[in-house]
Amino acid sequence: MSAPANRPVVLESAETLAASVRSGARSAVEITRAFLAQADRTAAKLETYLHRMPDRALQDAEAIDRKRAAGEALGNLAGVPIAIKDNICVRGVPTTCGSKILEGYRPPYDAHVIERLRAADAVVIGKTNCDEFAMGSSTENSAYRITKNPWALDRVPGGSSGGSAATVAACEAPLSLGSDTGGSVRQPAAFCGVYGLKPTYGAVSRYGLVAFASSLDQIGPFARSARDTALVQNVICGRDARDTTSRAEARPIDLETLEEGISGLRVGVPRSILDEAGDGLAPSVRAAFEAAISALERAGARIVDVALPHAKYAIATYYLIAPAEASSNLARYDGVRYGVRRPDGDLRGMYEATRGAGFGREVKRRILLGTYALSAGYYDAYYLRAQKVRTLIRKDFLDALAASDALLLPITPTPAFKIGEKTDDPLAMYLSDIFSIPASLAGVPALSFPVSFDASGLPIGLQLVGRPFDEGTMLKVARAYEKEHDAASRVPAIVTAGEGGAR
Amino acid sequence: MPIDVSVVRKIAALARLRIEAAEEERYARELGSILGFVEQLQALDVSGIEPTSQVTEGARPALRPDEVCPSDARDEALAGAPERDGDYFKVPQVV
Amino acid sequence: MTKPAGISDDSRAKYEPVIGLEVHAQLKTKTKIFCSCSTTFGAAPNSQVCPVCLGLPGVLPVLNERAVEFAAMTGLAVGATVHPRSIFARKNYFYPDLPKGYQISQYDRPLCEGGGVEIHVGDVRKRIGLVRIHLEEDAGKSLHPEGKEGVNTTRVDLNRAGVPLIEIVSEPDIRSGAEAYHYLTKLKQILVYLDVCDGNMEEGSLRCDANVSVRPRGQAAFGTRTEIKNLNSFRYVEKAIAYEIDRQIALIESGGRVVQETLLWDSARGVAETLRGKEEAHDYRYFPEPDLLPVDLDASWVEGLHATLPELPDALRERLVREQGIPEYDAEVLTETRALASYYEETSLRSGQPKLASNWIMTEVNAVRNKTGDTIESFPIRPDRLGDLVGMVSSGRVSGKIAKQLFELMLGDPAGPEALVQKHGLLPIEDEAALRALVREVIAANPGPAAEFRAGKEKTFAFLVGQAMKQSRGRAHPEKLQAALKAVLTEESA
Ligand SMILES: [Mg+2]
Ligand SMILES: [Zn+2]
Repeated sequence: MSAPANRPVVLESAETLAASVRSGARSAVEITRAFLAQADRTAAKLETYLHRMPDRALQDAEAIDRKRAAGEALGNLAGVPIAIKDNICVRGVPTTCGSKILEGYRPPYDAHVIERLRAADAVVIGKTNCDEFAMGSSTENSAYRITKNPWALDRVPGGSSGGSAATVAACEAPLSLGSDTGGSVRQPAAFCGVYGLKPTYGAVSRYGLVAFASSLDQIGPFARSARDTALVQNVICGRDARDTTSRAEARPIDLETLEEGISGLRVGVPRSILDEAGDGLAPSVRAAFEAAISALERAGARIVDVALPHAKYAIATYYLIAPAEASSNLARYDGVRYGVRRPDGDLRGMYEATRGAGFGREVKRRILLGTYALSAGYYDAYYLRAQKVRTLIRKDFLDALAASDALLLPITPTPAFKIGEKTDDPLAMYLSDIFSIPASLAGVPALSFPVSFDASGLPIGLQLVGRPFDEGTMLKVARAYEKEHDAASRVPAIVTAGEGGAR
Repeated sequence: MPIDVSVVRKIAALARLRIEAAEEERYARELGSILGFVEQLQALDVSGIEPTSQVTEGARPALRPDEVCPSDARDEALAGAPERDGDYFKVPQVV
Repeated sequence: MTKPAGISDDSRAKYEPVIGLEVHAQLKTKTKIFCSCSTTFGAAPNSQVCPVCLGLPGVLPVLNERAVEFAAMTGLAVGATVHPRSIFARKNYFYPDLPKGYQISQYDRPLCEGGGVEIHVGDVRKRIGLVRIHLEEDAGKSLHPEGKEGVNTTRVDLNRAGVPLIEIVSEPDIRSGAEAYHYLTKLKQILVYLDVCDGNMEEGSLRCDANVSVRPRGQAAFGTRTEIKNLNSFRYVEKAIAYEIDRQIALIESGGRVVQETLLWDSARGVAETLRGKEEAHDYRYFPEPDLLPVDLDASWVEGLHATLPELPDALRERLVREQGIPEYDAEVLTETRALASYYEETSLRSGQPKLASNWIMTEVNAVRNKTGDTIESFPIRPDRLGDLVGMVSSGRVSGKIAKQLFELMLGDPAGPEALVQKHGLLPIEDEAALRALVREVIAANPGPAAEFRAGKEKTFAFLVGQAMKQSRGRAHPEKLQAALKAVLTEESA
């Protein structure tokens, strides 16, 4: 993977950067400085971060360089900067989940993924903006700022991991972590033209990920290539004793298998789901989807028809299950032990004032919805029924994946929409999750990968869905596509604009 | 499915959420529209279907040995409390 | 104790009380149920806490295997079904000592169901059925200010948050405060025998809520029930239930209706009172805990656990009656704790005197323990020494009176009874010459009674024996002393 020596650091792959640190060709400090400088130019405009930590990052980079100088072996992400969604705990570093209720909160422990990243000698450079408690599809629900799409600053980066997607797209970081509950990694990846992986439920420990909907939440990586995506996933995946839903079945992917090509691989296409989206599906996305099918076929894949008959019920199912779990997960923000407190007379007053002022509209709406769905008299009709439909949806996927090796489907009905375009109608916003939510409910892995651009230059991504704990096949397909297309290697103009461009 | 403002008040009280009076109508409307949307599930025959509350089939029961391992996070955690009385968390009286 | 006014026994007889108890027992694990914090009682506030039990954002629970084992053992001990799969659920409510805003408990799929406990009330044996036994986490402690200092604030200590509990729910099979008392005593006995709970009510290791209702005798439907909380001792449970039964009967008899509500027992005043303030209707919004896997137990594991259960009080009691030939009552007393029963068995074996050993323990040993508060484990006379003493009594080596003196000495001196006999010159006086010399002295000192005896008033003989025994400080051999006295009185004239 050697690259021209004069290629700017911020455009290099994480794999190359780590190799160069291990070989001594570059220092971790030099690499970290380059990305910090890039972020200095663009982060304020893009509003990608809630908290940047340049001093700490440089200290960590220095420590990695010292380690190498001392002859110690370095990890697979040696000296590679990585940005972390603000709902993942980093010890001593502000972690707000984009919410006022956690303003000033600093976790006293590291998430499991942070421990893994540090063990691999990665350099954490900051906490990225997100929709409050990961609830949203545009990052407009952040209580602090609205992140801009690096390809069009008047458009959303997607959400809820919008900051993590945008910072990688803008080359402020080669890698980032987000979290995906109903599409929160895959959708912003598509809007920002980068890779975004939602691993199999249980593939990555949730310890230290602030819970939104526990049975759906997964941490996943953003990167600018299939190989880099696998590189991060390999570092963070696997069993963690502190998350009993995490699994030993999640094993690292041999990167070289991604180069094998997809000859004979069966790619399942559930066409009926496109019809469900109807007019909501943009012609540009539909065209990109058809083109990708042809491209994969040319690369040797066999396209097979599959059905996901219950996928159309996924949004309704999700908007019962996720808010129900969220209403319980967010009960701990009560102003007693941490976060912001609003005194108001007695305890009850304090609770209501704290939570009333601390949570934003979308979070409140979902807490109300979830509380309602779980409350006496409604449980069977709503929550329990949704769980049964979830069983049907999961079975659909397992059946489809028995007849194929991976599925191809859209991830978003449209490219990135304009800031403010959908904030007035929550249901309309929810409906745009139609392609991302089914795989979340099924617990299967799904990958959003960049395939092309629309006429106005907005990136378009598509989604691959794999069998449980088979992230590798999806990445292999994406890698085969990537070799023949340049969608992944393009960078938005903001990367090179001003200050003499990227260095 | 129309949701009454009184229902919003009731669930907001259960969830300890203060909703401004001016906002109640809007929440009622939005909840009504979402609950109306999810009504589609009622049409589906789910008899005999087991519910899925988590996707963890095949996971081995994960138990922890009963061994003490004190946390190093205690002081940092207490330092983040909004209000303390010595090492106690302090809250307004219950009633 | 204040009684609600005017309950006649006739009124009482018209109603049947129906009582069910919910007992929360703290399991004797080293660590909490979902994290590795210590469960040691009495630590400094918030010193045994971690991100998990503080409910910090992002943490997850991991189940303590020992808690599952202890709960399953309890189920097996009471004959409950231990389910191969049980499921944790979240019980959602807000309280400052409940860090996550929900308690992780079990709801529709508890670990154990069924089973029962046999109680003895007087001569009546009765089985109290159990509905379920489930695992859950304890809450922390809210300390409310007393008096006027520090008004308007509550202090929260989360050391106890996450301590493992089992909740044991009885069927509504209990009919009186006394039955409730016996049920709790028996339940505690079982838990302590199993060594899964220390049974200490003062430290909150065992807590009880009572559901009480009454119904006209013969009526099948239950009456409206009230729940009594804050029952800090078994005696309070008994008293509070008796109080509440009378209150409900008086209410119904005077034309009123029982309201379903929660009452707090005020032990100082002996009354149960409605909880202050508006009580919100509970809606706990239970749902399966997504952060924990179902608890799946292998049948072989459960069988293995069953095989290793210690002998339980009922079985032990029956065995003592069978093997030792002691009365049922003795066996009941001696099996109060497993340690007491072992103490007895060792004493009996050493002495070869099962009934005498039982008598000594039930009277002498327990009398001292009642005074000093010693447990049987801390009692200074170990079974070997007590067994030797009992043996000396049965062989006639010492009189009962000397034996009691020896027992007193043994409390403060670790020597064996035989050594103490030597050390304190407590050997019995059996030599006839010595005994004759002794009785002569007594006769000389009591010329009146001696003369009366000789004149045919035999009643004074006992008096003279007593005096002689006193003179010998109890050491005189009783029969030989009597023989000597009789001989001297008849053979030797004054
Ligand atoms: Mg309970
Ligand atoms: Zn803990």
